[in-house]
This record gives sequence, structure tokens and C-alpha cells, in this order.
Amino acid sequence: MKEMQKFGYPIFFAVMAALPHLLDSRWQAVAITFLIFAVVALSQDIILGKCGMFNMGQALFFGMGAYTTAILNNEFGWSIIATIPLAILIPAIFGALLAGPIVHLRGDYLLVVTIGFNIVFVQVLQNNLGGVTGGPNGIFGLDSLSFLGFNLTSQVAVYYFAFIVLLLTLWLMRNLAGSKAGRAMHYVREDQLAAESIGINPRIYKIFAFSIGAGIAGLAGTVFATQYSAVSPEAFEFIQSVLFFSIVLVGGSSVPGVLLGVFVMFVLPEIFREFATWRYFVFGFAMIAAMILRPRGIVPATFGKIPKFLIKGGSHVE
Amino acid sequence: MSNNQLILTDVTKRFGGLTAVDALSFKVESGQIYGIIGPNGAGKTTVFNCITGIYKSEEGSVNWRGEEIRGMTPYQIVDRGIVRTFQTIRLFGQMSVAENIMSGRHIRSSQKLWHGIIHTPGSKRDELENWHKVEEQLDFFNLSEFAATPVGSLPYGIQRRVEMARAMAVEPTLLILDEPAAGLNDKETLVLLETIFKIRDKGVTVLLIEHDMDMVMEVTDYLTVINFGKKIAEGTPTEIQKNPAVIEAYLGSEDDDDE
Repeated sequence: MKEMQKFGYPIFFAVMAALPHLLDSRWQAVAITFLIFAVVALSQDIILGKCGMFNMGQALFFGMGAYTTAILNNEFGWSIIATIPLAILIPAIFGALLAGPIVHLRGDYLLVVTIGFNIVFVQVLQNNLGGVTGGPNGIFGLDSLSFLGFNLTSQVAVYYFAFIVLLLTLWLMRNLAGSKAGRAMHYVREDQLAAESIGINPRIYKIFAFSIGAGIAGLAGTVFATQYSAVSPEAFEFIQSVLFFSIVLVGGSSVPGVLLGVFVMFVLPEIFREFATWRYFVFGFAMIAAMILRPRGIVPATFGKIPKFLIKGGSHVE
Repeated sequence: MSNNQLILTDVTKRFGGLTAVDALSFKVESGQIYGIIGPNGAGKTTVFNCITGIYKSEEGSVNWRGEEIRGMTPYQIVDRGIVRTFQTIRLFGQMSVAENIMSGRHIRSSQKLWHGIIHTPGSKRDELENWHKVEEQLDFFNLSEFAATPVGSLPYGIQRRVEMARAMAVEPTLLILDEPAAGLNDKETLVLLETIFKIRDKGVTVLLIEHDMDMVMEVTDYLTVINFGKKIAEGTPTEIQKNPAVIEAYLGSEDDDDE
């Protein structure tokens, strides 16, 4: 496992960095989708995997970011890059506001409430609230990427945009794991009463987890809107949230697990076109098998690292 | 003497029709090792839950350092220097021993929420300082060799030590131990006694519930005996041993030991 982490990540990054030059345009599009959905699944992992909250509305925040970018670009003529801060902030603030009244709910109740949020959100989009969401058709004809006066119209540019967002997400998650806030989330997930009895206010960290998860998903939404130059409500349906939820649960709350889940769910169906209609069938069975055989996920969570100077041999279990 | 006093006055806790704690009063002085004993079901753990904010007592007052803490949440009470362990050990089972102890450093760490997103030199220093504090606790409780081991896979006696180490990492003023010797063998109990004395020598007041009478008599300075939620006696261990009400509660008339 150690070895895999040592060599796995550099190899993965190198391959991903070179990838668009090895693929034709159809496969580039698939690779971009992989990157975007990997970011959303990782953001879901912060809420579900790290903090243990059964959130089944992650597509809401993903969509909120995408629509923020689309509306700002389409209605107000902001460049795609300029919409990024708001595409992160608006979902992050909404995440905190929505989470505030519900984080004390027990797992299954929270799950139902977040499904409700997701459904309401899609309804709002479809009914063209405020006349800016474009109704069931969504918004199309967005500008392509431009940065410092360069027009980055190619798909390769979008790929690298998505890749940078993934790297940023991984970096942020690493920072989180090595911080007081990140650890507090783990403690709350493991045993809330014990966490409270050691001085942790679980509410703060649950809302924080929701907020960060929502912000990252929102950023992924910007990339998504850029890739298709369009947004429409059906991409953010509740069923998408179910997929992100299952990916984290089946993959396990770890980066390799989540990436594997996204790969199986979104890339394999493209490789085997005939597999596409079967994917829910196969993934459904995979979920059942994984939950029975590996209830903590295919690649289970490894918790925050402890400093080397504390490891003094003995029964060190990896 | 500083006024690190815990004063309970007429604390009453009811569950439906059952009065688990009935107008209980006692006073823990700074620097004491104070024991609460009583037969099974006497309401000892309920008293602890009322002090540490897990339950709110219906009546009475829980006063700590001149401040009323009844009705505060557990984490607010920890903030005021009262930390507890549990009779049924509550550790973060999948996490390593070191990470478990690190949870005790939570309220001592100066990191803000946003340090979870971006680290700064200050937050890195804080992180390292706290890991060194964890190392101190690992040494104090003789747990160094298990630092990286997931705590759920360790034997019961060691888990008890980890739970105490976690509580001590908070640097409490008052440490509350709920049956610390439960499930320990004689040798482990001896080590525990020594540890409790060492903790007291660090200036920490200790309040404990214990079943093991030999241990209680040896370790505590002062005792309160409760039965059916009521105080039936208090005094030094030697006084308690001679008290007829206590002897009766323990040896029992036939109706009170099968709760």
C-alpha cells in the first residue's frame, strides 16, 4: 500500500498530464468527464466519507456552480475564469445555509432531506425561476475559455483546466487531512459523543464539511459548463447524486477508491459501448458485492497520517 | 488553595417515572482524588453524565469554579477543564492510538477552520507542537510502541490507557474516570493506581466511579456512597468502611442488588 502511494501518484499524474496528446477528440471528452466527475465524487467524499453525513444531494452543488458560471457568462458577459470565485462561493454559502438546520439529523433522515433539496433545485431550474435559468432547455452558447487575452477554444485546454481543478482538489484534501478541522471531521464520524466529550463542537465541523464539499463541487460545475458550453437541468438530477454517493460508498473513502469508482461508472461505459445500458445493472451488483465483501469500500479510508517521529516500531499495522 | 471546586447541590435527574439521581449534593476539592461508589444501578454514571453535560439534570445546580455548568453542552464543559472517560470505552476505533490522543489536543490547538484548506507556517508549527504533546502522553502512558496501531485492534487494558491518555491530552483541571479499573487484571489495576497518583501529582483533580472496593479504598481521599440515586454516606475511606449503611447497601438486603 505504501509502495503504491509512493509510485502510484506520480505515475498517475504523469499519465494524466500526457493523456490528451495520446487521445482523439472523442476520448479527450471522456477523459474530461472523468476528471470533472472525479472532483465531484471527491467533494462528496469530504461530506460522506470524511465527516460521515449521508448527503444525497451533491448534484445540487455541482449544478449550482455550473449555473452560476452559465448565468454570469450568458447574462452578464463575465469571462469563464472570472466566474470561478462566485461559482465556488455561492454553492459553499448555500451548502452552509442548507446544512445549518439539518446536520443534527440522524443519517437516514439527513439523506431524505438532501434528496428533497436536490429535487427542489431541479424544479427551480426547470421552471426558469427569475427568468435566468433557461427552463428545461437550460442555457447554451457559453463562451469558451479565455485567459489573459488568449482564447483557449481547444478541448485540450478544457482538459488541462479540469486537470488543474482535480490537482487543486487533491491538494486541498491533503491539507484538510493534516489539519485540526479535518481530524475533527474524522472524530465526529467515528463517534460523535466521544468527540463532544473531548471538546469538539460537531455542528461546526459538519457545516464546514458541507460548505467545502459544496464549494469544490461548484468549481467542478464551472468546468462542466465550459466543456459543453451549456448547462441543462437533467445533468443535475437526483439520480446523479445517487451515483456520487454510491461511488464513495463502494470505492471507499480514499482517493484511489473514489477514482476507481468514477472510472468504472463513467469511463468503462464509454469503452464498452454495449456496456453502457448495462452499467447500472453491473454497478448495482458491484455495489451489493462490495458492501457484503468489503463493507468499508474497495479501497477503504486511511485516516490522517501521523508524524514519523511517533512511530517506534512495535506492532505497527499498516 | 485555588477554587477549582466542583459543587453539586440537590442534583436530581429523572427518566420518566424513575428518579435516577435524587437530590444529590457533594463537593470535590481541588487536588483531591474523590470517589463515588455504590451498587449497580445506583445512578453513579448518571451523575457523571449530569456533570459532563450529556444529560441535563432537572433540578439542582452543578457549580464549577463558581460557574453554573448545568445545561451546558459537553464540549463547553470540556472547554472549562472537565474531561471524562467512559465506562464502555469510547475511542475512535479505526484510527491509530496517536490520532486518538491527538483528538484531546483539539481545544488546545490554535488552528482556525480555514487552516483546513490552506496551511500557514503558524498552523504547521501548531500542528507539530501538538503532535509533540501527543508524544508526551504516549510516553507517560507507556503507549509509544502502539502509536500507529489502530486502536480497535488493541486489547482492552491498553484501550483503557489510550482513553485516559486522550483525556489527559486536553490538560484538564478535573479528570472524571468512569470505572477505570473495569475489565483490568490485577497487574493492570496496580499500574492504573500508580497512574492515577501521578496524574494527581500533576495538579489534576480526579473524580472517579469504581466498583473495585479495594482499589477505591486505596486510591481515594474522600468518598461519597450512593444507592438508588441518594447519598447514603460520605467520608474518608476508613470512615466509610465502618459505616453500617454502606455495609448494608453492599452486602444487601435481598431486594437491592439485582438491578
